[in-house]
Amino acid sequence: MRKKNHGLIICISVFFLGMSLWAILSKTPDYSDSERRVLAKLPKVSTETVLSGEFAEDFDTYAVERFPARDLWRSVKAYAQTKVFGQKDNNGIYTADKHISKMEYPMNEEMIKHAAQVLNAVQKNHLQENDVYLAVVPDKNRYLAEETGHLAMDYDAFTNTVKEQVDAEYIEIADLLNAEDYYYTDSHWRQEQIADVAERISDAMGVNLSEEYGVFRMEKPFEGVYAGQSALKWESDTISYLSNETIEQVIVTGADAVYDMKKATGRDPYEMFLSGNQPVITIENPLNDSGKRLVIFRDSFGSSLAPLLIEAYSEIVLVDLRYISSDKLGEYVGFEGADVLFLYSTTMLNNSLGMKQEKKG
Amino acid sequence: MVFSSITFLFYFLPIVLGIYYIVPNKLKNLVLLLASLFFYAYGEPKYVIVMIASIISAYLFGILIDKYKKHSKLFLILSICVSAGFLVYFKYINFIIQNINLWLTKKIDFIYVVLPIGISFYTFQLISYTIDVYRGQAKVQKNILKLALYISLFPQLIAGPIVRYTTIEEQLENREYSSEKFALGVRRFIIGLGKKVLIANVLGELTNIFLASNTPNILFYWIYAIANMLQIYFDFSGYSDMAIGLGKMFGFEFLENFNYPYIATSVTDFWRRWHISLSTWFRDYIYIPLGGNRVSKMKWLRNILIVWLLTGLWHGAAWNFILWGVYFGILLIIEKIFLGKYLEKIPKILSRIYVLVIVAISFIIFSGESMAQILKNIGGLVGIGTQSMISAESLYYFKSYFVVFIVSIIGATPVLKNFVNKENVHKIMNILEPVYLLLIFVICTSYIIDGSFNPFLYFRF
Repeated sequence: MRKKNHGLIICISVFFLGMSLWAILSKTPDYSDSERRVLAKLPKVSTETVLSGEFAEDFDTYAVERFPARDLWRSVKAYAQTKVFGQKDNNGIYTADKHISKMEYPMNEEMIKHAAQVLNAVQKNHLQENDVYLAVVPDKNRYLAEETGHLAMDYDAFTNTVKEQVDAEYIEIADLLNAEDYYYTDSHWRQEQIADVAERISDAMGVNLSEEYGVFRMEKPFEGVYAGQSALKWESDTISYLSNETIEQVIVTGADAVYDMKKATGRDPYEMFLSGNQPVITIENPLNDSGKRLVIFRDSFGSSLAPLLIEAYSEIVLVDLRYISSDKLGEYVGFEGADVLFLYSTTMLNNSLGMKQEKKG
Repeated sequence: MVFSSITFLFYFLPIVLGIYYIVPNKLKNLVLLLASLFFYAYGEPKYVIVMIASIISAYLFGILIDKYKKHSKLFLILSICVSAGFLVYFKYINFIIQNINLWLTKKIDFIYVVLPIGISFYTFQLISYTIDVYRGQAKVQKNILKLALYISLFPQLIAGPIVRYTTIEEQLENREYSSEKFALGVRRFIIGLGKKVLIANVLGELTNIFLASNTPNILFYWIYAIANMLQIYFDFSGYSDMAIGLGKMFGFEFLENFNYPYIATSVTDFWRRWHISLSTWFRDYIYIPLGGNRVSKMKWLRNILIVWLLTGLWHGAAWNFILWGVYFGILLIIEKIFLGKYLEKIPKILSRIYVLVIVAISFIIFSGESMAQILKNIGGLVGIGTQSMISAESLYYFKSYFVVFIVSIIGATPVLKNFVNKENVHKIMNILEPVYLLLIFVICTSYIIDGSFNPFLYFRF
């Protein structure tokens, strides 16, 4: 029989009661910066919600999400899982040297098919007379995962599948990129590293980019989307942007600016590029009177690439099919005579349910 | 309400413990009863009435059985019919309809019915109470609140152990409290929490990854089989530990429900170590009343198959559970007829391997969503339906979960317990105990906050 252990009771009780009082009495923020989402609110009590079980479910969510020092607890878990239990990832998130990334695995053929159906429907309904191009932006796992022993898709097979299913002229850009072209703690590529990508795409589309860029660095350290998700210590990073005379003079509608400085100091600094994801954005270039137009169907990677292409066009229109369905396109976008570029990341194509399919009448 | 939730750990439990130890002894049962009813109603607001109705029924029949000895058998049968009737209706009615419909051209409509949490557990407790009263093994409980407390006691209400009324009868009247007992309860609870959150839940993620994989291979099938059996063990035994620990904190002593089943040297031995409260229930209330092994050989075989068919069915209203039960029934028969003697003679390592393989296969059956899936997951262990031994995916997860596997394999044996109980180690562990238990509790809390994957497997019973 074990001896009395008052020490045990006291230690556990003090911690336990202390945490309970803190959990019950503390006021916690409504929004999680690290997770980039609104946290659950205290649910309202009503006969209906209690009897249906909804109150209990909502309260459980509230109790977990509003537990004090949430980020610290998540860090403890991340540390325990990866350093103590030796697991190679935490909710799919892993570290690779200075980088934090999220595994994109396995390849989801159904999602690629869905994306292809959406894009091919756009082609069929709006782009019969247009030159249509396709470029796939690899997620940074392509350049990190295999080296660090994490799971990676067969990116060549992925690209080939996309090429086979989407009816467009393919522009290869993966060979121009490596891990250093992506932010350490974010999924996106660095704008200052993709001038060569812009050049490859413009060459393929038969247009010319000749202006040099100045590189401008933001002061605020950049904490990308993976920093909060990993809950571990992250490498400091900054956002830089490219500008020149053309970019400085463009007129933007549908977003606040090409480089939205308000967003640069906001919750997701990458949104400084064309104010983040919007259904339709138009960039007019008053210095180019050729009348040439480009329509880019894109995800968030397009926000930082589009400014680098504007020199070659009078107008670029960016369309995000997650926010506007293709059957409404004709009301907002003119396609006549325009070059068209489908620019999507492997992450988007592999998880394409957000791309709105045309409603069948 | 789930034990391994923030709501329970940091809201419900401290408030209930606080009130419980502040009120005078004569009010402690009432506090615990109200807390238990709240605990149940929180997760099952509408169907708490079913449990209350079952308790009232058993209470009234218990009194009738005790008062009218001449008709006690009739009252016992009626009591069992009412209790079992609730269980059959809520748990099995659609399974029955589904199988009857196989023979009908005009199908019977399914009934919309929700399975109340814990109904399998508390029904068995109620039935054991009325039978024990009938047999004279337990005194009838004339205070309905005390009977209600026995049934609804939250530590063991929704996932066991199936506590016998005779175990708890005196403790309802008179419980001993001591700091040592409380400390033992705290320790047991935290160990159980660790088993559930740090091992069972984590292995559950791995089994889900396997089930979602399009490219299983032999290594992955084995990873699944081992992770699955370890997950089920740590989930259920972890929950039992928490129940026993909570019982101690409130002054109750429950019987053990697991005794290192994965070191068993025969299937017979396994079932003396696994879910002990259930297997002894079936022994005492089905097997022995049917005659046990004191009947002709044919009847004895019949008795075993009935018990194991019912054991399987108790776990779920689906054919894979029945198959699981019958699988064990047949193996037990084979062991009793000849294999058991052979197992006693061979080295223990071999008999243990035999049991582990048998049990791994059984839990593939237990967890299967369909016959096709079960056959695929069993066949895959020997390469049927797959052309590869290994893949980058299976190797990745093997490496990633390796430490968890080692910890859980060691934890499933008494190796650690024996080491800790050595005299010189024991002294050091006594000093370190608050530290390592607090560490486990902190890490468990961090996992709960971070994750949302946290279902108790035995809740559906």
